[in-house]
This record gives sequence, C-alpha cells and structure tokens, in this order.
Amino acid sequence: MNALEVRNVCKMFPGNLANDNISLAVRKGEIFAIVGENGAGKSTLMNIIYGIYSPTSGEILVNEKPVRIRSAEDAIALKMGMVHQEFMLIPRFTVTENIVIGDEPHKGIFFDYKRAVREVRDLSERVSLSVHPEAQVCDLPVGAQQRVEILKVLRRGAEILIFDEPTAVLTPEETGELFITMRKLQAEGKTILFISHKLKEVMEIADRIAVLRRGKLQGIVEKQDTSEEQLARMMVGRDVVLEIPHVESHVGAEAFACHDIHVRNNRGFEAVKGVSFKVHGGEIVGIAGVQGNGQDELVNAMIGFTRPLSGSMELNGSNMRLVTTAALRKQGMSYITEDRARRGLVMPYTVRDNVVMGQHLVRPFSNGRGGMRFDKIAEFAEGKVREYDIRPGDIYDTAGSLSGGNQQKLILARELSLPHNFLIASQPTRGLDVGATEFVYHKLLEEKQAGKAILLISLELSEIMGLADRILVLFEGRIVGETTPDKTTEEALGLLMLGVGVDTKVAS
Amino acid sequence: MSDNRNIVRWIRSAFGFDRQSNGRGDPLKILVPLVSIALALILGMVVIAVSGRDPFEAYALLFGDSGLIPGSASWKREFAELLLKTALYSATGLSIAMAFKAGLFNIGAEGQFWVGAIAATFIGYWGPFAHLPRVIHPAVCILFAMLAGGCWAALAGYLKVKRGVNEVIGTIMLNWTAWFLITGWLVLGPMAPIATKFISGTYYIAETAKLTRIMPPTRLNTSILIALVAAYATWFLLYKTTIGYEIRAIGHTAVLGMEAPRAQGINVNKRIVQAMFLAGALSGLGGAFFILGLQFQFPNTAIMGYGWTGIGIALIGQGEPFGVILSSLFIAALRTGATSMQVAGIPKTFSNIIEGLAVGFIALQVAVRFYLVKLMERRRLRKAAPESKEAV
Repeated sequence: MNALEVRNVCKMFPGNLANDNISLAVRKGEIFAIVGENGAGKSTLMNIIYGIYSPTSGEILVNEKPVRIRSAEDAIALKMGMVHQEFMLIPRFTVTENIVIGDEPHKGIFFDYKRAVREVRDLSERVSLSVHPEAQVCDLPVGAQQRVEILKVLRRGAEILIFDEPTAVLTPEETGELFITMRKLQAEGKTILFISHKLKEVMEIADRIAVLRRGKLQGIVEKQDTSEEQLARMMVGRDVVLEIPHVESHVGAEAFACHDIHVRNNRGFEAVKGVSFKVHGGEIVGIAGVQGNGQDELVNAMIGFTRPLSGSMELNGSNMRLVTTAALRKQGMSYITEDRARRGLVMPYTVRDNVVMGQHLVRPFSNGRGGMRFDKIAEFAEGKVREYDIRPGDIYDTAGSLSGGNQQKLILARELSLPHNFLIASQPTRGLDVGATEFVYHKLLEEKQAGKAILLISLELSEIMGLADRILVLFEGRIVGETTPDKTTEEALGLLMLGVGVDTKVAS
Repeated sequence: MSDNRNIVRWIRSAFGFDRQSNGRGDPLKILVPLVSIALALILGMVVIAVSGRDPFEAYALLFGDSGLIPGSASWKREFAELLLKTALYSATGLSIAMAFKAGLFNIGAEGQFWVGAIAATFIGYWGPFAHLPRVIHPAVCILFAMLAGGCWAALAGYLKVKRGVNEVIGTIMLNWTAWFLITGWLVLGPMAPIATKFISGTYYIAETAKLTRIMPPTRLNTSILIALVAAYATWFLLYKTTIGYEIRAIGHTAVLGMEAPRAQGINVNKRIVQAMFLAGALSGLGGAFFILGLQFQFPNTAIMGYGWTGIGIALIGQGEPFGVILSSLFIAALRTGATSMQVAGIPKTFSNIIEGLAVGFIALQVAVRFYLVKLMERRRLRKAAPESKEAV
C-alpha cells in the first residue's frame, strides 16, 4: 500500500520550472530518500506535499485517496509531519512547552503544564527518544533539539514523517543517533521521507531512493541495486570524481603563525586554550575536530572579529595585534566561510555588488575619489560569472536567489580574486552537493599549486584526509595531535577528535 | 523610441526599482505605495460617508484647494504653500530614509530638526555673521544647521557603536535633551532679546539670512529647490559612491545581525556613525528651512511634528530619495487642502485620517505585497496557459 503518492506534479515559479512532471509513490513503512543537488527541486516538492506551496498542476494521494492540501494544517490533519532543517523551536521555552505548543492540554482556560510534562514524558518513553521535558531548549545540543522537533511531530499523530536535510546541522555521532531513531520509527510502521544530498547517508538509511535533477525525476532505485557513484552520476548528469587527486607543490615561506593563543567565546568562556601552529605557502593545513571544539573562536580571532586573550599571531611576518579585518585583508588574507548567509554574502545585493565587496575601494572599481565605477564592476562580474560558472549567470540576480552551490562559487570568485597569499577555508563545502564540492576541492588544490598557504577547517574527515598535507586535531580548544594523511586513518583521527587516548596533562 | 526607454530607465533607477539597485527589478516597490494610497483614499471616502457627509464634495474641496490642480483664484497661494510644506517634509523624510538605508531607525528627526533650527536662528542673527551678503548668509546658516543636526544624530550613532545603546532609545533621549536645552534655556535665556519684552521667542534673523522668495507675492522660497538638490545628493551618495555602497550593505544585513560587510573588511561602526550624521544633517536642513523661510525666529511655542511626519513620509516613499519627494508632495497636498475643507465645515481630521490610513497600509505592506504578487501571478498564469498548450 502506498502511504503517499504524487502524480504529474508541476510547480512553476516565475521564470523557473521548479518541479517538472514528477510522479512517485512511497510505500507504507519504508524509508524513502529524495536526493538531488541544491536547487534540484527537493524542497519545492516537499513544500507542495506539506501544503506550503500549491502545485501548478498534478495531484497528491494520501493512503491512496486523492487529497487537496492547502496548508500545513491540512497536512497535519492527514497525519503528516515535517521536521524542518531550521528548527522551529522557541529557545526560551522548555522542551514540553515547545512540544505541546499549538495544541496545549488545558484546564478551562489555563494551560495544564503538569499534564503536558506527563504527556511528553510518556511519549518520549514510548518511542524511546530521550529528552528532559523541563529543560530549556536553548540549553540543549542540536541533536536533542532535533529530537524535540520529532516528538512535536509525533505528538500530533504523524504517520508520514518528512525529514528535510536533517543531518546538515548534526555532528557524525548525532547523525548516528538520528538514524537509530529513524529505524525505530520505521519499526513502528511510520513512513519516512528523507531529503538529503549526502549520498553516504542515503545509502546507509534509505530503502529506496529517488533522484531529482533540475526539477525532473531522474529515476527511483532500490538501495541494493545502486552505488554512491551511480547516484552521483544521476544527480549531476555526468561522472563525478569523488576521489581527491593528489597534488604536489613546493612548500614555501611561512605565511601565518600563531603562538599559544587563547580566545574567549561570546559567552565569556575560554574556548581556545593555547593553540600554536604555522602555515606555509603551498601547503594545506587541515584542522579536524568535532564542531564546537574551538574552531569558530579560532577563526574569529584570526579574522579580527575577537581579540585573543593572550598569545600572538603573525601574518606574513607582521604582528596581527589590534588590527582590523580590513587591515588583515590588505595584508593578504582571504576567508571562505561556512556561513554564507551570515558572513559570506549580502543576500539582497546583486551578484555584481557582492563580487567586489572588500576590493570596492580600489581602482578600477572605484574612481579613487569615493565614487563607484559600476561599469567596470559589471565587466569584472561578467568575467567572474563565466570563469566560475555561477548560474543562472545574470549578474543582476540577488545573491539570495542563487542556490547554495552557486553562492559558494560566488564567494570563491570574490575571495580568490582578492590579492592574497593566505586563505582560511572554514568548512568550505558545508551544505554543498557533490558537483559544487568537487569544484571547491579543485579550486583549493589550484590555490595550493599557486603557492598560497591554506588553512582548511572541516568537520568532514574525508575532506581533511584528501586535501590536507598536515592535519591538526582540535579537541576542547587544544591541539591534541598532529599527523599527515599517509600516517593515519579516518578511524584513528575520529578517535582523536573525540579525545580518546588524549592525556590531558600532555595536551595542556 | 530610445529616448523614451532612457527616460523609463532613469525613472526606474531614481526610484530604486531597477535591477541594478535592487536586483529584482521590483515593480512592487512603486506599486505598493500607490495601492496603499488608493486604498487609503477609498477607505477615507467610506469614513466621510459614514459621518454623514458627501465624500465627493469633500474630496473636491480637499484636492481642489491642495495646490495640485491649477485654476482656482487662490491657486497660486495654495501652490506656494504646497511646495513649502513639501520641502519641509522631504527634509525629515530624507533623513529617516537615509537612516533606513543603513538599517537604523532614526526616531530623533524631531530633535535634530529643532537643533538645526536653533543653529540656523543663531547664525541668522548673530553679530559677526549678520552682514554677510544675501545668498551667502542663508547658505552659511544652512551649513551650520546641517552640521548641528548631524552632530546631534551622530551622538546617537556613537552611543550605539561604543556603548551598545539602541539608536531608537538614543535618539528619543536626545529628542528630550534637545527639547529642554532649546525651549527651556536657549529660547528663554541666552537667545532671548532683552531690550524688547514684547517679543517672545528668540531674536529675529537678519534680512540677509532669509531664503530668497521665488514667486512673489506668495512666500514660496528656494527651500523646495534645495530639497530637490538634497534628494538628488542623497540618491547619488547612496547609489553611486563607495560610502553609499557600504551603508546599504550594512542596512541590508543589520536587522538580522549578519556580519557579511564586516567580514569583508568594511568598517561598520564608522559607517553607522556617518550614516547617522547624514540623517541628522538632513533633519537639520528641515529646521533651517523652517527658520529661514517661514518663521524667521525660534518661537516660544514649540515647532512640533515635522520629525514624526518624516517617518510616515519615508515609509510611503519606500526609503528611496525621490520616492520621499513624491510622498512629501502627497502629504503636503492633503494638509494644504485640509484647511479649506475645514472652512467648508468638514473637519480637518479627515485628511489626517487619510494620511494615517496610507501609512497604515504601507505598514501592512507585507500583506499588500502578498495580494499584489498573487494577482500578478494569476494574470501571468492565465497568459502563460494558452502558450504552454501550444508548446506541448
């Protein structure tokens, strides 16, 4: 029996056919994955199923009955539930308050908090998703917040659960826990739709996999009949080299060095506790570590957002004490950020306006007297759009309208065109599909060959192992190990990242 | 043909809905205020009708005497009043629009207006400057008014940057500070004429400091021309200079606490203070218009409301400099016409109601936008439907 079926669904946005005649059926009790590149139409399809968009044409069947879903309320009434990528939780509310919101148990006009807590505790025991019902959501780690989201959906009686890129925000361990949860839900007879572009995860958890490319359904395959390579080919439309080629380069002069720096995080705790390392021209130094072990604070100190408590940093031989971000960039620092929306781009600005930010004060982009030369900027932007294949390719599109991969290409175009010899790449492939990831790797290796010094901070072990010449492992604000890819394995690194076998006395 | 296209292109860029300035080439930017005004006028008719008066007669009076429509005997005078008001409102409107562009909410246009006005008064009568030639004298007055207003606002910017004081709080506090400094001390003490006890308020400014009248016998003066220049200068600064580029980038990211401009090496704090200065200078310009063109002294009674009106003006004008000029013209027309409507026995309040409704609909612009988009999409689909059938 099919729990959910869509037939010939089309969705047209002005100038863009986001879903082109898609038909697929999800069997009851299976884990069904939908994969595709950023902008392939996965989210549009889910939003149609969940009633947020109305389809231009086509029909939806739930439990083999045709239905009209006009809003999320309709979808909930049909026993569907969506676990969003960005959690829809109120940070200051407790777990219980967040789970029951919108459908609170009450005594007359009063909210019956005690009964709500009881209900939440019963529910979490029944589905064995452990949460503390009275903890405040803002105090919980991301994985636990996701459990709260799932409980919220289950409490409304959802039988079909839609997970929209649920692992994007999770650490590897949390992803593992999520998969255990999903299996449990499957065992209870729930149907699960799993949206992702991480092929490894899809191969691990899904029963059947649908591949979307540019709004079209490329095919539906059984897990046992396919491989990561085949899925990647279907997604991108050509063979993808997931292997990272080895590039030899000449190691040059020291570009960046830091000595025993200590940095506070924004809550006032010391998050980087004495880190020292050097990066030379022509080498990629990788920093491995589980998220939240001081990476963000380290980067913030390096780009001049926060001042280190103590220690010193040198960029191209000059001391970086009390300098501004602008001065650092003038000194030859480029920065690729993982947080494209927050730090990378001004989303309402056009591609043209974004691509020169940071060098907009220099000729030929300004006339030297405070005026912008938009004709020259447009010329430059056209060139970069072609060179980096930024799609759809109109320099007057806003950055916010581009897909994640193209946004990252835009950031690369900007950062690599700045005069620089030191590049900080902080999770440069986060949230990117295989095609864009391949592009980023390619560019980083090009940079290395050109003799630039690169610091690569990543949570993906395969990325670090493939790209880096030297690997530093960051754990709880300290560097607990230094190695090279040929002397270690992903497993050994993984253990080191979790602090296993680290003698704290030696580390400090 | 190509001439026409150039004009259209110029207008689109002036009102900020070309693809170069906002990427989307968003026609809604101009449709939303027009629809809001139309809705306000329609709803205003209902209100007038409900109160038992003839809405058509009321509107005929309101717009007939607003100075917009030539013909009546008193037209020349009304037209002059209309443009004088337009100049005043567009100064504070531009001030708030400028701050909006930097992601700042300048509630303090009122105070900056007063500070500008008192500075213009002082330079207007003060001995050492009193014998400047005719054109130079008002120019110097305006310069100092803008400087004073600008510094007053920059203070709020400085507090925001250095001490984390929200600019809304900062500017409101500075409003009251300006209020008590001026009406409680300057006007009564140092700047009050001692010899003649019969004059209330400050000294009158010198003849040479007054703005030149350009359409005698009416009191229309050069303020409207200066306002147009100010609007052009604001537009040029925002869209053609590096400062404007940085200010707009900050404005686009400020509300959500984004850090993109800072990460690209833009000195955000400096630009915030500068944007506040520019906003304050524009309000100060309004103060100078008021003193040099209309009042000629800082009165004992307060000058109220120009700063607050500016907020509505900037909202209707969508924060675009030339949009501000048009929306000031609209509000000025309502207020000019209101007087003669009142003479005919229809309360002046009705024009205030229309004004309030227009601003209200603008505030609801998310909703207005939503329905406009829906309407447009439906039309596009209807148009597209036959074509796509052919294509299949």
